[in-house]
Amino acid sequence: MISSSEEDFELELRSLPGVLNVGISHAENGIVDAVTLFVRDQDPDAVRDVAMHVASLYYPDVTVTVEDANRAPSVHGRDGPRVALTWTGFNEKEGVSEVHLSFLGQLGTGMSGSGPLIGGAEATVAALRDLGYEIPCYLMAVNNVHTSTGWPVIVTFRSLADGSDRIGIAQADGELESAAKATLDALNRYLSVQTHLEP
Amino acid sequence: MSSTATFDAEISEPPYDSRLFLTKLDQLSTNEFGIGFVYSVLELLARHYHLVDVVVVVGDDSLGMQSFRLDRKKVSSDSLVTVPGVFSEPDVVPDVVKDVVRSVCQLALSLHVARHGAAHDRLTNIANRRYFDSALRTAAVQSARYGWRFTLVLADVNGYQAMSDQVGPSVSDNLLRTFGYALRQSVRSGDTAARIGGDEFGVILWNAERAEVSAFTDRLRALPVAGAEQIDFTIGTATSPRDSTDPTELYRIAAARLDEKKSAKPQ
Repeated sequence: MISSSEEDFELELRSLPGVLNVGISHAENGIVDAVTLFVRDQDPDAVRDVAMHVASLYYPDVTVTVEDANRAPSVHGRDGPRVALTWTGFNEKEGVSEVHLSFLGQLGTGMSGSGPLIGGAEATVAALRDLGYEIPCYLMAVNNVHTSTGWPVIVTFRSLADGSDRIGIAQADGELESAAKATLDALNRYLSVQTHLEP
Repeated sequence: MSSTATFDAEISEPPYDSRLFLTKLDQLSTNEFGIGFVYSVLELLARHYHLVDVVVVVGDDSLGMQSFRLDRKKVSSDSLVTVPGVFSEPDVVPDVVKDVVRSVCQLALSLHVARHGAAHDRLTNIANRRYFDSALRTAAVQSARYGWRFTLVLADVNGYQAMSDQVGPSVSDNLLRTFGYALRQSVRSGDTAARIGGDEFGVILWNAERAEVSAFTDRLRALPVAGAEQIDFTIGTATSPRDSTDPTELYRIAAARLDEKKSAKPQ
C-alpha cells in the first residue's frame, strides 16, 4: 500500500469518528504494541471494532483500548469555580449592549453595537475574551421564542473546528440578560474545561 | 544564553530564554512535517522549559479538535480539553511561545492531512482515483519497457446502490469501508488498491496472472471482517503486457469483462 508509517497509522486512527486523542505504546523492540483511543459522543465499541481493523493492517498484534470521554470522571467538577454573569446593560442613547462577567475575582467586560438580543450574545463573547478565553466558535443565530411562560432566548454557535452547533437557552429579565445567559449556557462545556486548566 | 549550534548540550534554566527555544524550533527538521513533528515540538518544548507534561490542542477541518500529549501513555484525562492551545505542567511557557507552538503544530497536522488526502480516499483510506491513475500509468510504462507483468483488477460491490437507497448512505458507506479494509488485507506488499468510484475499486497486482488473481479474489472473499456479512462483488481483469500495455486500453478491457460478468449474474 502507499503508506504504512506510524504517523499515517495515527492519522488514520484520528480520522475515526469522535476520536480526540490517540495514545501509542511501544514494545522494547520499538514496535507499536498498544493503542488507546479517547473518544467522545460515539459508541466506544463501534469505534473499537473499526480501530482494530485499522490496527491489524499495520500491527497485527497490537491491543486497542477505547476510553469514553463521556464516561471519564470529570476533572473539573460541578462545584469548581465558574464564570458568573455580574451585570448587563443597554445604553439606549448610544445603542451599545454591555456585559460584565467575573471569574475568580477577575472582571471581564464586553460591549457590542448591536441591539440587546444579538448584542447580548456578542458582548458576552467579548467579555469572555476579555477574561482570556479563546472561543473556538462563531455566533450563528440569536432568537427569542414565545412560550406560555415568557420569551426565552436561544443562542446558536458553530464550532470552527468541526462545524457542529452549540446551542444555549435562557430566560431572564429582559432580552440582553437572557441572551448573555444563553451564550454562557451554549459555551459552558468549553468554559468549564478551560477554567480548570487556567491557573 | 547565546544562540549557538550546541543546543543539545545546553540546559536552560529559569528565566527561560524563549528566543533560544524559537531558534531551536526553527532548526527542527521539517523533512517529515506531520504528526511526528508535533511530538518533536512537544519534546523540545518540554526539554527547554523543564515540563513534566504538555498538551497541544489544535483543530482541523476534517479531523475536528485533536489533542496531542507528550506523555502518550496518558491520553485520557487532559484530553477533555477541547479548546485550542498549549497546556503545560508547570505552566511556565510564555504566551508568545504557546502561540507559536500551537500555530506550528496546527500547520504540521493540516499538512499531514492534506498530504494524506491527496493520495487517499477519505472513506476507505486506500488510494484514491488520482493516485491509482498515476500508478497504473507507471505500471504500464514499466510493463511495456521491461516486460514486467501485472494485472489490473476492477471490482464492483454488488447491490451497493440498492442498499444505499434502502438503508441510507451511512450503512452503505460502512459496506464500502469494510470492503476497503478487506482489499488492504488481501493485496500483497507492493500492490496498489484504490477506490476509483462510488462502489468501484481498482487493484494493480504485480507479477500476477490467472492463478495469482484467483488467489487474491479467494483471499478477498474469505475476508472480511469479524461481525460483517460476506460482501458480494464482481471483478473484471486485464493483464499487461498480454492484453495491452496501454493503460486506457487495459482499463477498457477490464471494465468490459466486469460488465460482462455483472450482466451474466442473476439480478
